[in-house]
Amino acid sequence: MSEIEIEIDGQLLSANQGDSIITIADREGIEVPRFCYHKKLSVAANCRMCLVDIEGVPKAQPACSTPAASGMKIHTKNDKAKFAQKAVMEFLLINHPLDCPICDQGGECELQDVAMEYGSDVSKFNEGKRIVPDKGIGALIQTDMTRCIHCTRCVRFGAEVAGIVEMGGTGRGEGVKIEPFLTEGIQSELSGNMIDVCPVGALTSKPFRYEARTWQMNAVQSVARHDLVGSNIFTQSYRGKVKRVVARDNDSVNETWISDRDRFSYEGLNHESRSLKPKVKKNGEWLEVDWQEALAFAIEGIKNNAERPEQLGVLASKNASLEEYYLMQKLARSFGTENIDFRLDHANLSPGSSMDSSITLSEIESVDHALILSSYTRLEQPMINHRIRKAVINGATVNTINSKKFDFNFKTKIDLLTAPQALLPALQSILKSLYLKTKADLPEQLSKVNSSDEHDKIANDLIASENGVIVLGEHLKSNPSNSVIISTVSQIAQISNSKIANLTLSGNAHSAEKVGFIPTNQGMNAASMLTESCKAFLLMDVDSQYDFFNPKLAMDLFNKDDVFVVSLTSFEDQSTLLSADVILPMASFYETSGTHINFDGIAQSFSASVKSPGDSKPGWKIIKVMADLLELEGFSFVDSSQVAEEALLSSKVQTQINGSIAESFEDSDITTLWQYAPYAIDNVTRRAKALQESNIGKINSAYIAKSTAKKLSLSQDDLYLGVPVSISDDVAEDCVFVHTSQARRV
Amino acid sequence: MNEVCFKNIDKENPASLATYEAHGGYKVWRKILNGEMTPDEIIAELKTSGLRGRGGAGFPTGLKWSFMPRNQEGQKYVVCNSDEGEPGTCHDRDILRYNPHSVIEGMAIAGFVMNASVGYNYIRGEFMEPYYRFEEGLKDAYEAGLLGKNLKGGSVSFDLYTHLGAGAYICGEETALLESLEGKKGQPRFKPPFPANVGLYGKPTTINNTETFASVPEILSRGGQWFADLGVENSGGTKCFSVTGNVKKPANFEVPMGTPFSKLLELAGGLKEGRKLKAVIPGGSSTPILTADTAMQMTMDYDSIANAGSMLGAGSVIVMDDTTCMVKTLTRLAHFYYDESCGQCTPCREGTGWLYRMLQRILDGNGKKEDLDLLLSVGEKIMGNTICALGDAAATPVESFIKHFREEFEYYIEHGRSMVEVEHNLIEEVASV
Repeated sequence: MSEIEIEIDGQLLSANQGDSIITIADREGIEVPRFCYHKKLSVAANCRMCLVDIEGVPKAQPACSTPAASGMKIHTKNDKAKFAQKAVMEFLLINHPLDCPICDQGGECELQDVAMEYGSDVSKFNEGKRIVPDKGIGALIQTDMTRCIHCTRCVRFGAEVAGIVEMGGTGRGEGVKIEPFLTEGIQSELSGNMIDVCPVGALTSKPFRYEARTWQMNAVQSVARHDLVGSNIFTQSYRGKVKRVVARDNDSVNETWISDRDRFSYEGLNHESRSLKPKVKKNGEWLEVDWQEALAFAIEGIKNNAERPEQLGVLASKNASLEEYYLMQKLARSFGTENIDFRLDHANLSPGSSMDSSITLSEIESVDHALILSSYTRLEQPMINHRIRKAVINGATVNTINSKKFDFNFKTKIDLLTAPQALLPALQSILKSLYLKTKADLPEQLSKVNSSDEHDKIANDLIASENGVIVLGEHLKSNPSNSVIISTVSQIAQISNSKIANLTLSGNAHSAEKVGFIPTNQGMNAASMLTESCKAFLLMDVDSQYDFFNPKLAMDLFNKDDVFVVSLTSFEDQSTLLSADVILPMASFYETSGTHINFDGIAQSFSASVKSPGDSKPGWKIIKVMADLLELEGFSFVDSSQVAEEALLSSKVQTQINGSIAESFEDSDITTLWQYAPYAIDNVTRRAKALQESNIGKINSAYIAKSTAKKLSLSQDDLYLGVPVSISDDVAEDCVFVHTSQARRV
Repeated sequence: MNEVCFKNIDKENPASLATYEAHGGYKVWRKILNGEMTPDEIIAELKTSGLRGRGGAGFPTGLKWSFMPRNQEGQKYVVCNSDEGEPGTCHDRDILRYNPHSVIEGMAIAGFVMNASVGYNYIRGEFMEPYYRFEEGLKDAYEAGLLGKNLKGGSVSFDLYTHLGAGAYICGEETALLESLEGKKGQPRFKPPFPANVGLYGKPTTINNTETFASVPEILSRGGQWFADLGVENSGGTKCFSVTGNVKKPANFEVPMGTPFSKLLELAGGLKEGRKLKAVIPGGSSTPILTADTAMQMTMDYDSIANAGSMLGAGSVIVMDDTTCMVKTLTRLAHFYYDESCGQCTPCREGTGWLYRMLQRILDGNGKKEDLDLLLSVGEKIMGNTICALGDAAATPVESFIKHFREEFEYYIEHGRSMVEVEHNLIEEVASV
């Protein structure tokens, strides 16, 4: 693009030919009022607020849609520009209800802000104002469409970013209504961003409604921890409680968007089941005690029950902070146990079930091909899915291999339905195909692999792509062959020259891996700990009923009289009370400082947004005090940043890719793939009310192919492991895909 | 009269292919198919003819066609705008009814010039009869081998499709028409880019009005100079005018450009007995209204009407006699624009409703003195600030009505009733005495 010179308000500027005037003005800090323009959305030029005067052009022109041309002289503030801008402002206000005092957008409203400068203080409009009925669009977004100024940012966000055409402008003239075409509500994992893009109070956060005024709240920069992205957010709190979460710009991480999960999960923090006081179980009775007594009881219990240090098992969820993981494993190792693990829900934990990604978040959007394996990226990693969608819009092709055909928000080319037990053979067939195509020597063990046309086509696309990526998703965790699958994928990537995006571990798993929150060879992994001779457990943010691959096994073990369980937890409900012997109330998300390591390996630290409720304490402090009481060395930290500093120095425990061990499936012909719905993945989201009430939160189906249902003698709406059966042609045969918020059953 | 678009109107079966061909139809198209004419020759001839876009803007057609990137790779389109919706206009309807083949031939020629192998005729939703007539014409043209692919075994292809609109005035705006044709909600696009570069389905597209296309075959057949000489300087050829309102014989008239308005009025049978000419809207409801004196002195061509303070527009002449209440008339017009605004951009969406509501309030007898200035100021704030011309079209009548008939509005506001009724009652009283 050629460089040109233009003049804005007398300032001589160089710009690229074809850049819109508004982008140049924004870059130079020249203020141009706007409503419909949004840097991440297509240009609509419908609000007309950004009209500016261009010398030699009779009419004022919109700065957002007018490309700069060499020698253009633009005035954003002369009489002609101001007249046009004020005219538009007046028109926008005539039908806008001036209900700012009761509008949640008040104080952070673009219309309010711009009206301060361009609006008149007296209205000349003497006619009746427009009233628009609200259809309602679900549990997350509150609509007050009478306030709508028809900028269509939400419509464009839906169509262009979320990939859903659910909002649109119906009717015409003054009667145009921005509304969903269906009344079932917006079905998008990114829908909350419509609230952020709405310049007025037409779309506001439903759970936040009337909770606080924006200027009363304390905004803190933070990082969301439900997925691998670590989206940048602001938490906004009022009187010690997080009341709202909004997106914070970071182009290389989350651009300007965040997922609904990151936006609305904070409600879980204010849930009634918060653990507020330390408790000990004596003779089957729970007693509230002070911290000193609880900690003493815990230490004594551990020492008494774990006669040898290696009888202690240390388990954590995938959502702890880097500092918590680091201190906890340090405590365990200093105490003398290597039984440390956070991979509670893996079907197989043989060495090697880990693989590094070889692509960054922003690189994903420029791939020309993606092969998605074992993943519904759209719901599991919404922001990464968004990058894939961008690549597709730019022309990339996508093939998927999944147990079920998922509703991606981009076009896919081949959707290969493959049951978990058929995944390894399928990948071997693809690998074989690749060997044959690249004329490499075919390894002996692949010679007997059956080939198929579909696999051949998938191999073709991988070879043809210049810049492809293989996306490996979290359904793989439940696959007993996961270790050998990973090594096969790694070979496929190598031979086809594709990058790898490993999404099998979510949350803050990269932090856990970084500090070695996994056992070394002497230690036991999460699965062995449950079956072998551990007599004491230290659990951190673990809900035994949900988090394990086999929750029943865990619950039964923790319930035993001779097993002593110390639970550092933010929530106490029946399963905690049943399984634990000591409850140490721990600060949850946004209540403690910490660090998240994201997909790109970037360590993002955050400070606490609010104080944790009751007597609960930040996890890292609890662990530090426990270590002190255990008289362990090296825990003299004053604040969490010291912990982070030390933690980041630790070198990642390397796990070798070793696919030689082929794990066999159990004898049954039909496998069950239990995948938690996106709003049931951790302790906090499970308790976020609005998320649960949203369309995605209500996902609860066991998808079964017709033939499989027959074999299992199941029909539509029967219960399969407590989940309603949905018979569908879009499911691979001989497997059941359970997508639910209910606790896992086996 | 009736020399170009309506030249077969008095023949038997004027719309039939046989009649059209018997009077020189498809002569040009056959010449093109025989390789006897080049695009450059056609454009030169159109430039000589002085033909200007008949849809309302009056842009020289030859110039417009020469802008098209005809050598650009990929699909290009020709689109005919038959969404004739301007209040007061109905001549395109009659062209489609009585001379559909002239439109077909004109579009085919345009396709050849623009190197576009596909055309669409977007016909107004209410035009059922013209739609069927045009479809019949298409069928006959296909059967006669005049349309289709590789015509006469040569390299020229032209497929033509009809599309029936759904009754929105805004779809007569060319970019809204394209959106509608693409199956989307009819809303204008912002420009640039212009349809010549990014048009239908994002491809280069030439859009002309029905009458423009219908004029092309005759121009090329009889020569650009012949056509230019029919009219006056700067306004070549003939023009179809729809004369409506308070005349004895409202009808369509194809007359040479430069015909005096008084002559046109005479053709339409003049005013009813005892009535006096009060005002004329010369080019459709979006053009400024003129007073009787000004109108009687103008001739029907671009320059003369512009000098009189209005526009030739789509050639829709609305005649009003002294029984017409200007407040009521303007309110009706304002209601039209209020109803037809697409609602996309702010000034038009909000402004047209504001104008209409104020006028209706005045009409209901609740007007205030300051309303007139407010009407003018609202109009001024809409004008020029919108995506398409509908905003201007809504504001123009308000400005011109109040400019020429302010005392009538003031009277209405003050007395809560129309000055015209009073005057008229007086006349009738006098007559009955």
